Amino acid sequence: MIMNTSPQKGRWKFWLLLLLVVGLAIAMVAIPVFVIMPFKAQTTTGVEWSYWLRRFSPWVTLISVILFLALCVRLWRGARWWGRLAMFVLAAPLLGVTWFARQNHFEWMFNPLPNAAYASVTDAGFVPDNDMVMAVEINGEAVAYPVRQMAYHHVVNDVVGGRPITATY
Amino acid sequence: MWESEVDGKRLTFHLAGINNQNFIMRDDETGTWWQQVSGEALHGPLKGKRLTQVYNDELSFALWKREHSRGRVLRPDERVQKNYEAANWEEEYAKFRVVTPVDTNDKLKPRTLVAGVALDGKAMAYPMPDLEKQRLVLDTVGKTPLFLVMGEDNKSVRAFDRTVDGRVLEFFVKPDATPLQLTDAETATIWDFSGKAVSGPMAGKQLRKVTVLKDYWFDWKIYHPDTAVYTLGERLPQANP
Repeated sequence: MIMNTSPQKGRWKFWLLLLLVVGLAIAMVAIPVFVIMPFKAQTTTGVEWSYWLRRFSPWVTLISVILFLALCVRLWRGARWWGRLAMFVLAAPLLGVTWFARQNHFEWMFNPLPNAAYASVTDAGFVPDNDMVMAVEINGEAVAYPVRQMAYHHVVNDVVGGRPITATY
Repeated sequence: MWESEVDGKRLTFHLAGINNQNFIMRDDETGTWWQQVSGEALHGPLKGKRLTQVYNDELSFALWKREHSRGRVLRPDERVQKNYEAANWEEEYAKFRVVTPVDTNDKLKPRTLVAGVALDGKAMAYPMPDLEKQRLVLDTVGKTPLFLVMGEDNKSVRAFDRTVDGRVLEFFVKPDATPLQLTDAETATIWDFSGKAVSGPMAGKQLRKVTVLKDYWFDWKIYHPDTAVYTLGERLPQANP
C-alpha cells in the first residue's frame, strides 16, 4: 500500500511548478508588450523592465519549455485523462509565447526595408511635388526619403557618400 | 538622421518599440535600445553612448529636386504600399491624442508643429504657423547667431549660422523673388535657399547649415524641457551697431 501511494504523494508540487513555469513565461513575454504599447505613456522604469524582459525572454521561454516537458514526463504516468488534457492545454500558450519571444511584432505592424530600392529623380514620379522628403547629402551624394514612406517604415539603413547612416522618422 | 557607426562598429537598426510616442530602435549587433529622437542608448551594452547626428533637411520634393537633380529617391515598397500614409496624413495626425501630460499653461497646443533648434545646450522652438507669417527669423540660440527661413512652398524650413568670415550678418528675404532669394544688409550679397551666395561680394560662400527638427510641440518639449518658444514679432531684426 505504502509503495503504491508514495509516487502519488507530493504530485501537487509538480503541478504547481508546471503552472508557475507556464505563468512565468507568459508574463515575461506579455508584460513588455503591454508596457511599450503605442498611444500609451511610458515611464523610464517601465521601458527598462521591458528591455530586460525582452532581452532574456528568448532564453527563459526555451528553458521553460524544457522544464515543462520534464515535468510532463514526470506527471504523465498516473495522471487521469483530465490531467493529461491539462498538459496539452498549458503547452499551447507556452509554445505560443516561446515563438513570440523570437518575433519583432513592431515590424509586423511596420514592415522593415532590408533591401531598400532607389530611383533616380527622373523616375521618381511616385512622389508628388508637394510631399515632404527627408533629405541628406554626404560627399556629394544626395538622397531623399519621402516622409509618407518613412512614417510607415520608420527606419532605413543606408550608405550615403560612403558613410553608413540610418534615416529615421 | 544618424551615423550608424559607434566606436568603429557598424550597427543595423530596427524598429523595436515605443517610448511616449517616440520610437525605440534596436541594433542587431549589440541588442542595445536607442531612442530615435535623441540618438541616446537607453539600455543595453552601449547604454550611455550617443549616435552622431547627420545633418538632414525636411523639404518639399519640388524644392529638393531643384537642388539635387542627380540624387536618388527611396522607392515605395509595393508589398506594403497600401499602408503608407494618405496625402492628407498631416491633418489626420494632428487629430491623434497626446498621452503624455499636457501643461495647461502652454500657449501652444500639443500637436502644434514647431521647428526646433538645439545648440550649445539651449533649445528654441519656432511654431510653424509663425514662420509661415514671418518667413525669416533672426535669432541667437546659445552662442550661435542664426536665422530660420521658410521656403516658398510654406513647408520647408532651413536654419543657417549667420556668421560669415567672423562677421555676423543680418539677412532678409528679397521681396518678389521666385525661387526665394535672400540678401544681407552688410554686403548686399544674394543668397539662395540652400545657403549659397549666388552673386555679389560674397559669391561662392556657403552658410553653415543648422539642424532643424520639425516636431510636435509636446514631443519637442519632452526631449528639451527647458526650451524657449519664439513668439512672433518678439525679436525683430536689430541694426548692427
